[in-house]
Amino acid sequence: MIETTLNHFELFSLPVSFQVEEAVLDQEYKKLQAVVHPDRFVDADDRTRLQALQQTSMVNDAYETLKSPLKRSAYLLKLHDIDAEEHNQAHLQEEFLLQQLEMREALETLIDSDDVEGLDALKKTVNREKSATLELFESHFLRKDFTAAKSNYNQLQFLFKLLDEIDKAEEKLLDY
Amino acid sequence: MALLSISEPGQSTPKAHAVKKRAVGIDLGTTNSLVAVASEGHAHTLCDHEDHCLVPSVVHYAADGKVTVGYDAALKGVDDSANTISSVKRLMGRGFEDIHYDLPYEIEANENGGMPLIKTAAGKKSPVEVSAEILKSLVLRGEEEFGDELDGAVITVPAYFDEAQRQATKDAAKLAGIKVLRLLGEPTAAAIAYGLDRKQEETVIIYDLGGGTFDVSLMRLERGVFKVLATGGDAALGGDDLDRTVIQWILAEAGIEDDLSYSQLNALARIARHAKHALSDADSTVVSFEHWSGTLSREQFNNLIDSHIDKTIKACRRVLRDAKVELSEISDVVMVGGSTRTPRVRERVSEFFGAEVHTEIDPDKVVAVGAALQADVLAGNKYGDDILLLDVIPLSLGIETMGGLMEKIIPRNTTIPVARAQQFTTYKDGQSVMSLHVLQGERELVSDCRSLAKFELRDIPPMVAGAAIIEVTYQVDADGLMEVHARELSTGIASSVVVKPSYGLEDRDIEKMITDSYAAAASDKDARSLQENKVEAQRIIESLQSALALDGKNLLSDEEYAELSEGIEKLHIIIDSADSDAIHQASESLNEASLVFAGRRMNTQIKTALAGHSIEEVER
Repeated sequence: MIETTLNHFELFSLPVSFQVEEAVLDQEYKKLQAVVHPDRFVDADDRTRLQALQQTSMVNDAYETLKSPLKRSAYLLKLHDIDAEEHNQAHLQEEFLLQQLEMREALETLIDSDDVEGLDALKKTVNREKSATLELFESHFLRKDFTAAKSNYNQLQFLFKLLDEIDKAEEKLLDY
Repeated sequence: MALLSISEPGQSTPKAHAVKKRAVGIDLGTTNSLVAVASEGHAHTLCDHEDHCLVPSVVHYAADGKVTVGYDAALKGVDDSANTISSVKRLMGRGFEDIHYDLPYEIEANENGGMPLIKTAAGKKSPVEVSAEILKSLVLRGEEEFGDELDGAVITVPAYFDEAQRQATKDAAKLAGIKVLRLLGEPTAAAIAYGLDRKQEETVIIYDLGGGTFDVSLMRLERGVFKVLATGGDAALGGDDLDRTVIQWILAEAGIEDDLSYSQLNALARIARHAKHALSDADSTVVSFEHWSGTLSREQFNNLIDSHIDKTIKACRRVLRDAKVELSEISDVVMVGGSTRTPRVRERVSEFFGAEVHTEIDPDKVVAVGAALQADVLAGNKYGDDILLLDVIPLSLGIETMGGLMEKIIPRNTTIPVARAQQFTTYKDGQSVMSLHVLQGERELVSDCRSLAKFELRDIPPMVAGAAIIEVTYQVDADGLMEVHARELSTGIASSVVVKPSYGLEDRDIEKMITDSYAAAASDKDARSLQENKVEAQRIIESLQSALALDGKNLLSDEEYAELSEGIEKLHIIIDSADSDAIHQASESLNEASLVFAGRRMNTQIKTALAGHSIEEVER
């Protein structure tokens, strides 16, 4: 299988940075898709078609990674040879874990009491927390303090998961 | 070949400009099917001598083996419902245990698993075979139009179709001898037909209420790019359900409680459909069944069907939420499917979205029209700006984990093609086998999801527990079809398996079906394989030569250049032999040798593409 040696940022002509200009990302993504998409190779032989398939998959994956702040963070760490998925309790402070536990309990209570407004308020709180942690990640990353950045990433994993659960709870209560 | 052709897609189909490619768009529907052709950006559906453009998706099997499709088959169904197969699309990619409703014909479980078999006077038929008959009759229409064989077809499927259903559709096409250019989502086809992408960025809803299925898709369109953001719907909700509410109303009003015969039910269905159509224009209509007669007003009818429309609105809210799009962002709603002719449906949809509702193109034909436009482009008949279709996977793919739970690997609404890899390890010393169960669906329990494939990875090198690392790659292509590859990483031994989902037919099954019907001679096959290998070798030589002429001097050392040139010479000589295998092997090794060159061209290519050149420039 042929793989480009370009990293995800280079692939989309973007500087390696936490800040990603979405308009540029979208535009470059479309340009690349126009070149590699299997629909461009309908009449080609199987091998060429397989390659177009693999490249498009790669471009899609790269796009999705840069589009999501959470995945982008992990990818930035990976570019510095840090495995963000390798879990280490030391990266999460007890204070953070306790706070998470409280939020989860709050979520359970809100679900049990069908409290849609309460859910909305909790969502806002978690979103604020998320934004603050993303900012912390960026500043630690800029200062090349990768240990702290990884710790922020692990916190973000918790926060994104919690947001996801709040969404699901909301869907249930609002009967989607 | 390889990436060598990436920089000049135009050259990979050199005849595209010289000869018009014959491609059709096919809407393979639950109730009706259509075929359309396009030229220069205009499409029209193909009709028969009596000006019927819709082909009822009905197939009749006679005891002498004679197969009838369409209107004639539907007519035979009046007296011979047991041998008349309708709504076969609902059986595609489904198991016997999935069919919880009555059918006018008899089905039985397939002992080998997979789709049920349909009992007919001409023997047992699989849903794939029945669909292939419908496809063949549509292709015939296309061939009559062009006066020649077709080069290919775009076939539409509901965006909601899972992997098993898509695979079954593709198998049916293969059986019918059609080259599938692309399985296209029905909503995407509708959006193409309206050309909504020509405006600035727009977020649109495709609301498709057909005879048997409801589909809603949220798409973002911008100058030639069609991106499906989210899809949803109900695979068992459609115009038939609206008719059923009318049937129930008749039965209740007429006080009929007895069981009815099939011919009575057929008559009722016809009466209900007539009433529904009449109420599209009139405020009320007289309904008569046997000795009873009554009046159904539009208001009553609206009340009857509102609960079904509610379900569709709920699905609309769901896709908005999935795509994280606000209701106010929707600029257009495209109506697809005959049931959107019902005024109440239009009213409720327009009320909910508060956006422009499009009904200008016949809602029965709009999907086939879009498919034809895309088929024309994919076949290589360029008439302007190319459009790019970015589709999503409608249901999550995952695997079974401990405790009968489903772990999602590729979440729904992920843009396809997509590949995801996952690593597993052994849990026992010396373990040499590991089994995997691939599933599709949104629920947490394995038992609530559709089982796509079960397979075993064998020959894992014996190691202590946890030492073997098996990487499993799930690859979904642009048609939404999946393959699973597995290999063991730690030893470098790469054993790879490709898994076809259990609901799809094995290639050998299809081949058997094809040979059964044509009884091809073995020597024909050998001759064909030799011919194919020669063509392939020629293709490799040509594209490598043109790539060398363009970039060889810049990207290769003198040695590398000489090596590839020598490979070309060798292959040239071998082509003239009649040894099919030798040609194949020489082609393979030349292709292998050119991979490094291809990789370098890929890098240059991407850099050039990104250096600010427009797509058009890159293509020329």
